[in-house]
Amino acid sequence: MATQKCAETKYLQGRREFFRGLKNLDRRSFLRVSAAAAGAAVASGVAPCRSFLPVTLAQAADPDARKQSFRFAYISDSHLYERSLNDRFVNAILRAVDDVNHMDPQPDFVFYGGDLAQLGQAKELELGAQILKELKAPLKVMVGEHDWYFDMGEKWRELFGKPTYSWDHKGIHFVVLNSVVERDFWTARGLTPMERMLTVAGLDNGLQSPFSVGEPQRTWLAADLAALAEDAPIVVFSHSPLYKLYRAWNFWTDDAEQVQAILKRFKQVVVIHGHTHQLLTNRIGNIHFHGMLSTAWPWPYAPEGMPELTIQMSRPDPFNPNDGCGNGEVRVHPDGLVDKVYNLWNRNPVTVGRNYTSTWGKQGIPPRPNRPSY
Amino acid sequence: MRNLITIGRSRCAAMALLGGLLAIVPAGCSQPTDLPASVAQAALSEAVFTEASPGPEPAPDVPVTSCDGERTVTVAADLTGRELADALMDQWKRDHPGRDWVAEEKARHAMKPPADNSALLQGDQGKGHPYGNFTQRDLEQWARETEKLVAEGSRVFHDAKALGGTVGVSCDMCHPHAANTHPETYPKFQTQLGRVALLRDMIDWCIEHPVRGKHLGADDPRMRALEAYIMAQRSGVAMHYGKH
Amino acid sequence: MSRSMVSRGGLRLALAGAGLLAAVVLSRPSVAAGQPPDVPRAKHGAASMEHQLQLLAKITPEVDAAKAPAGLDPAIWAAFIPKDNALTADRVALGRKLYFDARLSEDGSVSCATCHDVTRGFTDQRPVSEGIAEQLGKRNAPTTLNVALLQTLFWDGRSPTLEHQAKAPILNPVEMGMPDEAAAVKAIRGDPEYQEAFRRAYGRDVNYEDVGRAIAAFERTLVFVDSPFRRFAAGDAKAISPEAKAGWDLFNGKARCVTCHPMNPSNPLGTDNRFHNVGVSARHRDFESLARRAIQALEKDPSEKGLDELAVGSDLSELGRFMVTRNRADVGAFRTPLLLNVGVTPPYMHDGSLPTLWDVMDHYNKGGEANPFLDGGMEPLALSEEEIGQVVAFLFALSDDRLAGESQRQLTVQRAAAGKQRPFRDEQVALRRKLLFEGRVMDRGGPGK
Repeated sequence: MATQKCAETKYLQGRREFFRGLKNLDRRSFLRVSAAAAGAAVASGVAPCRSFLPVTLAQAADPDARKQSFRFAYISDSHLYERSLNDRFVNAILRAVDDVNHMDPQPDFVFYGGDLAQLGQAKELELGAQILKELKAPLKVMVGEHDWYFDMGEKWRELFGKPTYSWDHKGIHFVVLNSVVERDFWTARGLTPMERMLTVAGLDNGLQSPFSVGEPQRTWLAADLAALAEDAPIVVFSHSPLYKLYRAWNFWTDDAEQVQAILKRFKQVVVIHGHTHQLLTNRIGNIHFHGMLSTAWPWPYAPEGMPELTIQMSRPDPFNPNDGCGNGEVRVHPDGLVDKVYNLWNRNPVTVGRNYTSTWGKQGIPPRPNRPSY
Repeated sequence: MRNLITIGRSRCAAMALLGGLLAIVPAGCSQPTDLPASVAQAALSEAVFTEASPGPEPAPDVPVTSCDGERTVTVAADLTGRELADALMDQWKRDHPGRDWVAEEKARHAMKPPADNSALLQGDQGKGHPYGNFTQRDLEQWARETEKLVAEGSRVFHDAKALGGTVGVSCDMCHPHAANTHPETYPKFQTQLGRVALLRDMIDWCIEHPVRGKHLGADDPRMRALEAYIMAQRSGVAMHYGKH
Repeated sequence: MSRSMVSRGGLRLALAGAGLLAAVVLSRPSVAAGQPPDVPRAKHGAASMEHQLQLLAKITPEVDAAKAPAGLDPAIWAAFIPKDNALTADRVALGRKLYFDARLSEDGSVSCATCHDVTRGFTDQRPVSEGIAEQLGKRNAPTTLNVALLQTLFWDGRSPTLEHQAKAPILNPVEMGMPDEAAAVKAIRGDPEYQEAFRRAYGRDVNYEDVGRAIAAFERTLVFVDSPFRRFAAGDAKAISPEAKAGWDLFNGKARCVTCHPMNPSNPLGTDNRFHNVGVSARHRDFESLARRAIQALEKDPSEKGLDELAVGSDLSELGRFMVTRNRADVGAFRTPLLLNVGVTPPYMHDGSLPTLWDVMDHYNKGGEANPFLDGGMEPLALSEEEIGQVVAFLFALSDDRLAGESQRQLTVQRAAAGKQRPFRDEQVALRRKLLFEGRVMDRGGPGK
């Protein structure tokens, strides 16, 4: 992937040539040139910055681009043990991969939302990586706390690369954060790596620190987004929710306000998060938050702090081990807003559309279940 | 009263009830101090304290010595119980005008109040019955024992091996802080268990299936601990049995 | 299939394929072939109506229509009887007459009793049923035993009442084939016995609604719940064999049957009256593409018309409950059948594809067949052969005493067939050495790719 600097140089060069050619053209040739320039920029693997082309020209150049939406699939929170210990979780991620491989047409890419392993063991991560390799569509991954805190991300980096990165796809800017950074709670207590991992794995023990993004990543994020215009479409992936839902279960990002402040200047931003294993919808200011389902097990809703926009799914049936689990897909519109589809196994899929969050829940209300959620 | 005495026993059905009480007083009651305490008490009961108005002279028949030992009265032979006592009281009142027999007897048998030992008592001791008077320290000790079992339950709840599980699954993975266990809805008919289930039946089912261990059974100390923990987490929630 | 595809080579290939398929099917010992011996036969393999009526009279002596059947909670029983069809002896008699009357079929060869044969477990013990002109349907005939206690009828639950269900096969072109209700009424209206019976039963002339009502009334007398298991559940420890007792423990435990087949005092039937995809449809070659097309049709045009267009030229039967509810969660889902008397109603599943109860156990032991809509309750069970035998023994203990003869015969026949081959067995998956979805994901190029 080209670094920031090279892309900028290329932009500026292309821009100079473009304007040089403008001077002596009639309208038709003018459009041809601008289209060619846009095409060339795309073909070279550098997504053209929208601000590079004059806005009206961009529209004229590719009138269909604005209407074009695409979709990606997601699989998340598989919590794999080695199969000799627990085959049920392995079967579940296989089922999710099978679902995605049978999508027709195939999604543009598949996003993995974190917590691939349960206890961060090398064998667990390798098993997950091996299974995810069977996906036909390209894969992007994000780290979760269960993947990280045994060896502080050593195996993860070896298998999947940097946990924090961004890329552009069809005009949308995607960012992936490692939002499960915790203050060191283990050194003072003299915990072994496994003890540290088990502490983090226990949702309700209250011993671990709250999740955060942390100052270095916030700086990186600000820089990564600096060049984008206010109406730039942005989707941020984060394992923790990037807002403060329920501290006791670490459904929480400690520096959420600071992260949200970085995102505040944009017209709208979508955050897609894992960790909560449930249908979850929220909106804070300009940010639309959507949770991802887990393949392994569902979680109950927090007793307090629930966002108003969330229409809770009904209580999963314990006699059906798959109930409340699943995978899903996200349809991304050119302006960056999304329709979030929850593909709940053995239930009808639930779509939380863009107009639900953009109208603060007044329109496009997803169906309410007729059984209690507890 | 007066009419009854002159007329005799024939109308005294109701009086016979009270007469039963006084029948234990020997007919020729002499020194009050010779009476056993219980009898003296009976004689001092309120029923007796109700004054009978003096009536006419009884028909002389049988000599009766009054309770103060000073006077002998002759009364009709067929008088018993209340009528007899009233007759004697009438005579005493005639002999001792202006004196209040009831008040004098009360004063003679009154007890002295006990010494003030309130300095020795703490809290609510001395009030109510002995078995129900637990102290703050008692409560703390009992709460401590309860919390020990709740803590043991929490330990088992969070430990797949302690549950006897074989797949690395512990209860807290689906039920953080015992959320979504809703123990207040048991007993309820659970069709997949084929009977009305109690909380422990559902726990056992979970241990058999998601946790893939062996049934604990109601008496297993781990089951008792798990129930304690789960119910402790839902303290304060209204009971609502049968709710699905 | 378009014309251009029917080249000679192509035809030969198709015939060879069909021949191979037929060879596979015919080589499997058909349990249906082992039917009750010495029984006079009518059309389509059914026992003669006279013989059936005789047997029926023997096993259901005079039923008191006014009282609840023995052993059933009267309050529950009363809830099952609709207000406009109270049970009377006249209605039952009329219904019985109609049930055995082949005049209600287009060519006079099929009555209800053809496919719901008293001598064959009140079903036809065939994979799929045969109707007029020897046409085969797509679904296995459910038994009419205890049908009064179900909440919905048909494998996809599209009939809410017995009355509604009874009217449907008469008009189905591959079953009894009457062109319309008027024709059905016409077939029997001229008979003075029927005129008299309808008037006595309903105080009306012969009409189609009452045909459904009367048949339903008759079916309500087919309550057969007195099994050895029932006596065991009531406290007689010796009523069933130790093997069956072990099977009952497995049923409630390791085998997980009770998740969908609850058997308890308030629900003795062994069905949760719900719809589950257990993967039987997935064995059909085109199930997944059919399911995909159905869902796309649903997303594009959720009206009746959209799905009707899909129906032309495709076999929608495998979609099951989905065709009724249009719920994606119901694709390939069929109603949990009741387990009472299950021993006498082979072959099993909605398409009759599992000939014996051992095959049924093999199917569940490996967690069914993986498909995108598989019910989450389906899991490999890791049951040993001995444990499978125990559950089967338990299932045979659910047969009513009056059907003990047929149940015993089935036990022998099925055990012999299962001893020869077990085509649905997959030990690798049952013992979890290979996971349910592993084959689909890791060995790409296999079915479903």
